Amino acid sequence: MTENFLNLNYWYFITFIYLFIGFLLSRGVIGSVTRVMSIIGWPIELAQRLSGTKSLPYLFLFPNILIFGLFTFLPLFMNFGFSVTDGESINFSSRDFSGSDNLARIVLEKQIDTGIENMEDDKFKAAIADTFVFVLFQVPIMIVIALITAIVLNREIIGRAFWRAVYFYPVMLSPVVVAFLWTLILKRQGLLSQILMGWNWIDEPIQWLTDPSWTMFWSVLIYTWANLGFYMLILLAGLQSIPRDLYEAAEMDGTSDQRVFWRITLPLLMPILLVVTVLSLIKAFQAFEELFALQVGWISLVSYIFETAGLRGQKTTFGLGIAAMASLLVASLLILLSLLQFYLTRRQVKL
Amino acid sequence: MKKIFAIFLLITSTSFAVKSAELKFVCYQDINECDTIAEIAKSWESSTGHTLNIETVGYEVVREQLENQLESGAAPDLARVTNLGGLNKFYLDLKPYVDSSYWETNYGATLPWYRKPSGDDGIYGWQTQLTVTGPYVNVTMFEDAGVDMPEEGATWDDWADALREVKSELGLTAGLALDRTAHRWAGPAFSYGAKFHENGVPILVDEGFRKFSEVFVGWHEEGLMPAEGWPAGAGTSYRNAAPLFLDGTVAMHMSGSWMLGNYDTNITDFEWKVVPIPCGPGGCGAMPGGSGIVAFNSTANPEAAASFINFMAQTENAEKFAASTSNITAHQGLQKSGIDYAGVSPNVAQGLAIFAANAGKAADTTPQAYWFQGYNKNFAIYGIVPDYITKAITGEMSLDEALAAIDADVAAKIAE
Repeated sequence: MTENFLNLNYWYFITFIYLFIGFLLSRGVIGSVTRVMSIIGWPIELAQRLSGTKSLPYLFLFPNILIFGLFTFLPLFMNFGFSVTDGESINFSSRDFSGSDNLARIVLEKQIDTGIENMEDDKFKAAIADTFVFVLFQVPIMIVIALITAIVLNREIIGRAFWRAVYFYPVMLSPVVVAFLWTLILKRQGLLSQILMGWNWIDEPIQWLTDPSWTMFWSVLIYTWANLGFYMLILLAGLQSIPRDLYEAAEMDGTSDQRVFWRITLPLLMPILLVVTVLSLIKAFQAFEELFALQVGWISLVSYIFETAGLRGQKTTFGLGIAAMASLLVASLLILLSLLQFYLTRRQVKL
Repeated sequence: MKKIFAIFLLITSTSFAVKSAELKFVCYQDINECDTIAEIAKSWESSTGHTLNIETVGYEVVREQLENQLESGAAPDLARVTNLGGLNKFYLDLKPYVDSSYWETNYGATLPWYRKPSGDDGIYGWQTQLTVTGPYVNVTMFEDAGVDMPEEGATWDDWADALREVKSELGLTAGLALDRTAHRWAGPAFSYGAKFHENGVPILVDEGFRKFSEVFVGWHEEGLMPAEGWPAGAGTSYRNAAPLFLDGTVAMHMSGSWMLGNYDTNITDFEWKVVPIPCGPGGCGAMPGGSGIVAFNSTANPEAAASFINFMAQTENAEKFAASTSNITAHQGLQKSGIDYAGVSPNVAQGLAIFAANAGKAADTTPQAYWFQGYNKNFAIYGIVPDYITKAITGEMSLDEALAAIDADVAAKIAE
């Protein structure tokens, strides 16, 4: 069957059948151009005729719902399925139902299959702890820098558009490209070590990305650098939505710049700031591509899930189920964060 | 009008007549293996009328994606794989299509690697090459340092002493590097007495394993092994130490025979050679291995696939392949009669001879190496050992904790 799809003659045949049906259905149409359009577009006209004007919009929405459902909801259900079943295969027909076994494997101290010490819970907890530290540092630092940058770029400075582009540019780079660029700088023979040795600050090159004392610092810095522009742009839009006359009134009253910031700018920016904070929190918990490509010396949550699921090529008997359960646990945490965002922004609106 | 349509229908439908088979072959290469196969397969294609579509991909694709493709039914007809035991439930049994006695005579030692553990005697794949692990040495560095290289039969301790001298004389970053996988670690571990299994049941941490772990961690602590080798990896990730050898960070690289072609082409600024595998109280341990071409039981053309594999396994084609790719052949007849690696540099020829000898030594003194290679869950172990040994090296865990963790994790990962 699959070979047929690659056979060009098959497609000629299908096109012929399609146009033939169109030809039959457009018997009553007058005018040659209209006739040709009818032959080509007969499925749409048929749909219009059958569904009527009221349900036609839903018909147009249908392809999007189909794709969305296929690529978002189906994997979600499959993930649920993986987390309550055992087996190496991704094919459900070869998996056995196992209830909450995977949860036990990832949480308990004693491994349920072998009776000896469980290593999986240590790895999972280590991944959570490391990712937590990463998020704790990365998000506030990025928000503060994004806010300051947005404020500066909101003023009338020379080359403002250029600077905005400069800060947004890293967002457009693919994570692997970002990692590759920074690896050139941070590897043992890389730029940073060479420069520091040239200045005699260090004697021999430091393994910036894998040295335990430096790896988190550089992870935070690179991830912030790569994602800053996006949130800066959102905050910039937020700043521009604050009415000008408030600032003029403050200026006429002779308010200091500091007071203007803390009493006018920040409170009015608060809803957007909250949205940005929660968005970046959720994204930081999911940090993976840059860190994986950089080959940093710590394992993030998604990296742990990626590896345990056997996606790196080392499939294990229970790996997929454990990884699926871990991802469900992380997802529930992120859902809590999103609910927190809803609650907070709703309160702001009431204010 | 209707007549025209009818004729049109007729013309388009006749093009659905069944052609001769088109086989999809997913191949990876270290240097030129897939190109060589394409060359050799031309005569097969012309004699049988089938077509072979070779898709050359990176090793990671075969390692990571192939199994998923097999499980979801989107598999190719043939593939060149290294996880021989791990994929055995997908292989097509070639026995009905080939001459079993020829295969048993010439490939009998490697056929078990493809079979399921209990009582399977099918023929599943052609071993394209026999790879053996073993060290490469930077001869120029030893000469510059004025240090003699240990002779054949020397132990890992002798080599460590020599490397220490070279490192201090020349001010190198480190002396020895290993790729970050238990596949390279296993050779020295066998030499120190690690048995790795008892009657087919893996037991990892025994006296020999523990001894070598202590030595290995010690080598890192004294700086004999570089920080960007094993300690630089996180978790079970694989790291290739070849860049460290190529740029002169280390004087010795514990790798394997698959790197011969690569080093021959890429090393231009120093002299290098392959040395016999160092020994120890447990023997002279090296890991045999290699990739094989297999057909999958989901293929629509089993006969054509089997015919191709059988063709490649014939003596003259196996010889051509081994000679063109500078690989050790798994064809036992050719191993005895020898292969004329014409046009190959003296380094590579010497290297091939030494690696082949390593395989023989391992078969005699550390047969557990052959068991480990054929064990169908060895891929999990390859990652677990570096994971915890790295933690022991960086001080995150004590060595005892790391060894206990290795045992616990391996037990969990191979449990049914």
